Amino acid sequence: MEWLLPAVFSVMDRLLPFSFAEAGFMKRALLAMLLVAPAAAAVGVPLVQFRMAFFSDAIGHSAFTGVALGVLLGVSPTWTMAAFGALVAVAIILVKGRTDLSSDTVIGVFFSTAIALGIAIISRQKGLTRNLQSYLYGDPLAVSDAELAWMAALLLLVAVYLFFSYNRILLLGVHEGFARTKGVPVRAVEISFSLVVALVVTTAIRTVGILLVTAMLVIPAAAARNVARGAKAAFHLSVGIALFSGFSGLVASYYLDTATGATVVLAAAACFALTTAARAVLAGR
Amino acid sequence: MNGCGRLHTLAIRNLTVRKGGTEILSGIDADIRCGEVTALIGPNGAGKTTLLQAILGQERYTGEIRFCRSPEHGEGAPRIGYVPQQIAFDRETPLTVLDFFALSAQRRPVFFGPSRAVRRSARESMERAGMAHLLDHPLGKLSGGEMQRVLFALALHDGPDILLLDEPVSGVDLAGEEQFCDFLSRVHGGSRFSLLLVSHDLSVVTRHADQVICLNRRIVCQGATTEVLTADNLAAMYGGDAHLFRHRRADGHGHLHDRREGNG
Repeated sequence: MEWLLPAVFSVMDRLLPFSFAEAGFMKRALLAMLLVAPAAAAVGVPLVQFRMAFFSDAIGHSAFTGVALGVLLGVSPTWTMAAFGALVAVAIILVKGRTDLSSDTVIGVFFSTAIALGIAIISRQKGLTRNLQSYLYGDPLAVSDAELAWMAALLLLVAVYLFFSYNRILLLGVHEGFARTKGVPVRAVEISFSLVVALVVTTAIRTVGILLVTAMLVIPAAAARNVARGAKAAFHLSVGIALFSGFSGLVASYYLDTATGATVVLAAAACFALTTAARAVLAGR
Repeated sequence: MNGCGRLHTLAIRNLTVRKGGTEILSGIDADIRCGEVTALIGPNGAGKTTLLQAILGQERYTGEIRFCRSPEHGEGAPRIGYVPQQIAFDRETPLTVLDFFALSAQRRPVFFGPSRAVRRSARESMERAGMAHLLDHPLGKLSGGEMQRVLFALALHDGPDILLLDEPVSGVDLAGEEQFCDFLSRVHGGSRFSLLLVSHDLSVVTRHADQVICLNRRIVCQGATTEVLTADNLAAMYGGDAHLFRHRRADGHGHLHDRREGNG
């Protein structure tokens, strides 16, 4: 690990001989973006099909409690955030399967409970509020080596998971009853997908923050949907748009002196606007 | 029309399904035989879909559902194909018809595209359904009738032993229904599967079914179509006021009507 990062950085120096990429923290931020954005966008494609944007938002906001717990227990918030996010994800899926309440109601209950719990813990701990700011807005310029390693591991995990489960997830997304008869283990797919979403969301928070994290999953997939006809195009466009907006947003934030996470999300939103226009043009022909 | 003699039979014995203390289905005995079309009819809430769910293994039941087959007709658990009622799905979903085939027919994730083998076999299936031109169409752009035929073609794609059709043409326009029925007749001539058709549309039932099972939480009657579809039996199942009549020729439907509720 010790030798890997400098090696990656020297490659980046050659590929990107620009002033914005000179500083070490910018290289880290860029690396973080390029690791997290494609993972989020890839998971985002089925997420949008499942209409799980609100779910992803709930997991994102559960990070309040995750961070607070980490500080309380003296553990790195990266881990408590991921663990608590996964816990909330599974809890939502289990409760949803056992009640007749609509899923947005169930998610709404967990969403607010998680935030309330987080705020309650934080309000007891003086001085924690400042700490929380970097999680609210994201702080890719301050990612640590350990966090970069975790992001790389997550990207790999997402790739392996989607390689083996993508078809089943999409089939389930079309129609549950039909997917069942095709041998899709519905429960297992639902739970595993929610867990993966939880890990991706809680990791992506480091780059764009709690407030904007859902955008990393939803906007590239939505932008791709505007113009893609088939599954292959939708997936690759989504990942492509995420990489592009991650890179261009970071660079733009350097020159415009704006918040990095917000600028990245704005770049993605611009892509969405473009594909929406392209769709209108295509439909008008 | 019978391509396989009696090579296999789905034997249902004393099947009972309970939900929340009430019996949805009680003491069902029936045989679904290879090469035949068995129609399952009954009023709303009669337990038709529950019976299909039980056969699909998605509903808890007591009693027995046994698949009997002769050794020359393969072994192991039967492959069950299923065509659901008109399905509501996200019409904007970026999936082509070919992608839809690929989702269940190949291991390779569809983001790498459909494999050659799947493209070939999906094309064959769609040609048989007379819809090869729709192979690269987005799934959401299909009409209701086209979607039902795609689901049918997809169910046949796996070479099922038993095919379950749950109200396959309800909500489909008349032209779509005709096309579906033509396709059904064509594939079932000389077929090697048994077909269980849930339908409230008696014109479809009389045209296609060899056997009819009348269900209303229990079996009201069953047997050859011509023997079973009598006014007395229908009255017993749907209640005294129900009667069978045909619409004007232009409509081409024979529906079961219930005067009290006025539904068709």
